[in-house]
Amino acid sequence: MNIGHRIGRRDVLRAGALLLPLAAAVSCTEPAQPPPPDPLAAMAARARADAASAAAVARAVPALAAQAKAVSDARGEHATALQKEVDRARPPVSSTKPAPPDAEKPPAGAAAAKKSLLDALTAAEQEAAKLVPSVARYRAGLVGSVAAACASLREVLA
Amino acid sequence: MRQPDSSGGGQLPADSVEAVQSALGSEHAALWVYGLVSAFLPDSYNAAVTEGTTAHRARRDATERLLADAGQTPRPAEPAYVPPQPVADQKSAIAVLVLAEADTTVAWRAVLERTDDKNVRRAALEALTAAAVRATRWRRAAGQSPAAPAFPGEPAK
Repeated sequence: MNIGHRIGRRDVLRAGALLLPLAAAVSCTEPAQPPPPDPLAAMAARARADAASAAAVARAVPALAAQAKAVSDARGEHATALQKEVDRARPPVSSTKPAPPDAEKPPAGAAAAKKSLLDALTAAEQEAAKLVPSVARYRAGLVGSVAAACASLREVLA
Repeated sequence: MRQPDSSGGGQLPADSVEAVQSALGSEHAALWVYGLVSAFLPDSYNAAVTEGTTAHRARRDATERLLADAGQTPRPAEPAYVPPQPVADQKSAIAVLVLAEADTTVAWRAVLERTDDKNVRRAALEALTAAAVRATRWRRAAGQSPAAPAFPGEPAK
């Protein structure tokens, strides 16, 4: 190992003096605890996943194509609107977009595929309805509309 | 900016009261529309008309109680309403039902955005969801697509 020049004690001290304020500045700007995750981020992720699996059903099950596309379109709009609100409230640090979920293989058979869509809509409605009483006013309309839309989409599949 | 959770007999701020009164107005109007259209629909729609009428009547009564509990006088129904388009047959009857349910979703979503009261929020969500589901049924009956809009109750932009 070849060190270019011998580092003297004085050099080390000087370097330490330079680093100290920097370390202090870092510890000051670092929040004590990370903020809790935005509950709408989980809703947006669920909506993205629902849109992808409904699109897969629309492709794989001709008997459900129109209804599954309606579900996929609406859940896709939910994902966009919810993510927009999440990013507005807490602008993302990087510009990386949330990765689209892997398209899962739809259940075999129209009945099983329909049931999986209905179950997903019920879970999404319940998740939204649980948040409605506690979210800020300006979010309550959006979250309530998502809940009502999921209930209505079940009617489309009925 | 928080207001107490009303567990019966609570107070509601003025903007919440106004939104709930408007929603009550949409329930009165929807009831009137259901009464109007039944004559133009075949018997196969009897169950759906009865269900809608019963649901709007129950919601109207509950909303009147909510306002009275908050010390407000519930606004009465208008003596008559003018449908946005003339009702003359099955097609126009279903169209006006879709409009009445959609108006109801707009009114109740507006309540969600104008109150912090958890009980009023829950009632508004129930009313918004029920009206959105009925609107979807009537759209399907009319062959309208999409039958389920992505954001029921969102005011037209």
